[in-house]
Amino acid sequence: MKDIDRLKKRNRARRDLMERAGSTGLALSGLIGLLFLTVLVWQIAKPTFIDGESGQIESASEFIPVSDYILKWDHPTVDDNGDLIGDAVVLELSWNDGNPQTHEITITVTGERGLSEDIIVDSSGVSTNAVEVGKKTKFYLLSSLEVPVEVKQLSGPVPAADPTGAPAVGAFVISGDVDVLMTDGTLVSTPLEIAAWIALLGVILLISVPMPKILGRIERLGGKERAVKYGAYALATTTLVVGTFTLDAWLGALCWFMVGAILVRLLEGLTRLRNQGRDPTQFDRLKHSITNREGLLMWARMLFVFSALFIPLAINIPFLTERYQDIFIPYASGIRSAFFGTIWVMTIAMLVSMPISIGAAIYLEEYAKPTRTTKLIQALVTNLAGVPSIVFGMFGLAIFVKQGGVGLGLGPSILAAGLTMGVMAMPIIVLASQEALRSVPRSLRESAYGVGCTQWQVTRDHVLPSAMPGIMTGSILAMSRIMGEAAPLVVVGAAALVLFDPEPLAGLTGGNVNFTVIPIQIYFWTSEPEHAWHSMAAAASITLIVLLAAMNSVAIILREHFRRRLNP
Amino acid sequence: MSEEIGGELVPNSTRELDIDGEIDVMIEDLDLWYSSNQALHGVSLPIAKNRVTALIGPSGCGKSTLLRTINRMNDLIPICRYEGKITKGDVVITDKGADLVELRKSIGMVFQRPNPFPKSIYDNVAYGVRLHHQPTREELDRIVEKSLNRAAIWNEVADRLHDLGTSLSGGQQQRLCIARTIAIEPDIILMDEPCSALDPIATAAIEELILELKKDFTVVIVTHSMSQAARVSDYTGFMYLGRMVEFNKTEKIFSEPDQELTKRYITGRFG
Repeated sequence: MKDIDRLKKRNRARRDLMERAGSTGLALSGLIGLLFLTVLVWQIAKPTFIDGESGQIESASEFIPVSDYILKWDHPTVDDNGDLIGDAVVLELSWNDGNPQTHEITITVTGERGLSEDIIVDSSGVSTNAVEVGKKTKFYLLSSLEVPVEVKQLSGPVPAADPTGAPAVGAFVISGDVDVLMTDGTLVSTPLEIAAWIALLGVILLISVPMPKILGRIERLGGKERAVKYGAYALATTTLVVGTFTLDAWLGALCWFMVGAILVRLLEGLTRLRNQGRDPTQFDRLKHSITNREGLLMWARMLFVFSALFIPLAINIPFLTERYQDIFIPYASGIRSAFFGTIWVMTIAMLVSMPISIGAAIYLEEYAKPTRTTKLIQALVTNLAGVPSIVFGMFGLAIFVKQGGVGLGLGPSILAAGLTMGVMAMPIIVLASQEALRSVPRSLRESAYGVGCTQWQVTRDHVLPSAMPGIMTGSILAMSRIMGEAAPLVVVGAAALVLFDPEPLAGLTGGNVNFTVIPIQIYFWTSEPEHAWHSMAAAASITLIVLLAAMNSVAIILREHFRRRLNP
Repeated sequence: MSEEIGGELVPNSTRELDIDGEIDVMIEDLDLWYSSNQALHGVSLPIAKNRVTALIGPSGCGKSTLLRTINRMNDLIPICRYEGKITKGDVVITDKGADLVELRKSIGMVFQRPNPFPKSIYDNVAYGVRLHHQPTREELDRIVEKSLNRAAIWNEVADRLHDLGTSLSGGQQQRLCIARTIAIEPDIILMDEPCSALDPIATAAIEELILELKKDFTVVIVTHSMSQAARVSDYTGFMYLGRMVEFNKTEKIFSEPDQELTKRYITGRFG
C-alpha cells in the first residue's frame, strides 16, 4: 500500500490532458478524412446532378503556377503592343573536364507564353546554340558532367535583380550530375558506413542464432554497458561527420545506434541470466531475458533492409540512373525520373492516407455513436472503395490541380498526384482498418477497462496494437493498388517525358512541377512505334514489380512483427 | 410476497440483509434493462468489508450482470440502462458524473476467461501501475514482484518475466490476471466465475488464493459451483430470474435456507 499511496498523488491532471488530446486528435484526423471523402462525393455529384450540362472542369494547364524560374526576366522591355523588344540574351557556358570548352548560347525571349527548350550539356558540348524561350518561362540547363559549369551573361536584358538592383544572376554555377547514391560507379559509402552495416548484420545474427563462443566473449564486456553505449554514440557521430551528413551517413549512424542498443540489451540479458545461476549458452533462456528482443530484431532488420538497398544502388545501372531519353537511341535511356516520381508519389500518398484513414477508422469504429449520419458516412466510404480510379483522377484534378473554387492550385505536380493517390487509398484502408478493429476481442477491451483505462488508453495501448496486423495488410493492399495505377495520373497531368529529377514540393514552392511515374512511362513507351521502346517498357514493368516487392517485404516484416507479438 | 413465473413461485427480492461487520459496498433497489428486457428486479445487496461474498444461481439469473454493475462495466454495453443506487462509502457509484477510472482502480475485476494482455508477464502486471502512477524502475520492479507473489505465481514465472502473458497455461493466466488486478491495490476484487475455464488443480490454487486475498481485499465472486461458494465465501446471495431470492451467511444458506426455492436449488433439484 505504501508504494502506491506515494505514487497516487502525481497523476490525475496528466491523465485527463492525455485523454482529451488523444481523442480530440483522433476525432480531428477522422473528420479531416471524412471531409475529404464528402468533398469527393460532392465533386462527383455536383457537375452531373446540380450544374447539369453547364458544369465543366477547366483544363489543368491553365493553372500551372508561373513563378520561380531558373532564369527569369522580370523587367523585359515591352513595346506599346505588349511585344518584347531588345537584344537577345547571350550566355557563355564554360567548363573544364580535362578538355576545356566554352560555348555561347543565344536565347531569344519571345512574347509567347510557355515556350521553352532545355539546354543539355555533356562532354561533347552543348545540344544547341540558339534557344527561343517564352516570356515568364523557366528553362533548364541539364548537365551530365562531373565538373561545375560556369554560366556568364554576355548581353541582353538584365535578369531578375536583387534588392540592391544588381543582377541576381550574373554568373552562376551548375554543379555536375549530383547523385546521392553513386558517383560514376564507385561506392559513395565511407568505410565507417560499411562497417556499421556489417556490425548490424553481426548483432542481428548474434541475437537470432545461438553462437556460444561469441556470446562468451561478449559476456566479458559485462558491467561496461555505459562504455559500449557511448562507444556506439561516438562511432555514429564520426560516421555522420566523415560521411558529410548524406543520406547513407545518416543510415550508417542509425546502424551504430542500433548496434549499441542491441549490445546493451544483450549484456543486460546475460547479466540477468547469470544472476539466475544459468549458463549464457542456454540460448532459449537468453532469448527470454533480453528486454524487447522482438522489437529490437524488427527494427534492426528494417534498418538492414534499407541500408542494404544502398549497396546495389551504388552500382551504376544506367537504366535506373539515366535520366536522358534520346528518341534515336532508346537503349541509352533510363527511367530515373519516373522511378523517383513513383517513390515520391507513393511516399506522399502513404504519409497522407495512412494516418488520416486509420484515424477515421478508429473514430467510426470506437468513438462515433451509431446515428443516421454515421451510417450514411459508413455507406459512402464502403461505396467509395469501389469507385473507378479515373474518377479519383477527376477529383484530384478538381481539388488539387485546379485553382479557384475548392481547388488548391498545386498544378500537375507530384504533390497533387500524391494527394490524389492518397485519397484513392483512403476508403480501402478505412474499410480494412475497421474490419481489423472490429475483430479485436471484447475480452481484451474489458480487461483493459477493468484496470481503469480511459477509452483513449484502451484504444492506444490494446485495441490498436491488436488490430495492427490487419491494418498493415489493408494498407499494403491499398498501396500496391495505387502504385500500379496510371489512369488517375493521366488526368492529373503526369508528363510523357521528364528529363530531370522531380521536385516533390514543387506544387507549393513553385518550381518545375513536371513529373512522371513508372506506369505512365510504360504507357507512353508502349505507344512509341519503335520496337526497342517496347523492350524498354517491359524492363520498366519489371522495375515496377521489384519496387512493389521491396515495399511489400518491408510491410510484411512489420506485419509479422506485430503478429508475433500477439501470438508467439 | 411472491409471484409465479414459469411454473416457479419466485419471492420478490429480499430486503432483510443483515451482516455483522463493516459494509463496503451497498447495492439498493437496482433495476436493470437490456433494451426492453429487464434483467434485474429491485436487487439489494450489502457487501461486507474483507469478506468473501458469493453469488449463486442458475445461468441467466443476473449474477454476472449484477457484478458488472458494481464497477460499471455494463456501461460498455450501449443497450444497457439501470436505475437504483450503489454506494461505496461516500461515493455514489451509479452517479452519472462518477469518475470511472478512479472507480475501476478501486474495484478490480477478474473475468470468466483468463484474458491477459498480449504483452509480457511483467508488462501485464506493470501496465495498470504505469497507467495510474509514474513509478521508477525500482518501485515498479518491487510492485510487480510483490503482486505476483501475492497471486501465488511468482515462483513459476520469475525467470520468464519477459515471455508473453498469453503463453502461460490457463490456471497461470488466471492467477496472472489476479496479480494484474491487485497490482493497482483496489479495495474490492470482483470475480466473475474465475474458475469455470480451469481444471480442479488450478481451481484449488485459485480458491486458496481467494482465502488469502480476503485479508487485504473485499472479494465478490460469482460461481456456478455450490461447493466452491460453500468453501470460500462468508456470505452467499442466491439469485433467480433477476431477483435476490435469499441472502445470508453461507453456513445458514447451505444448512437451513429460509426459502423453499433456495433449498431446491442447492440440493440440485432444479436449475
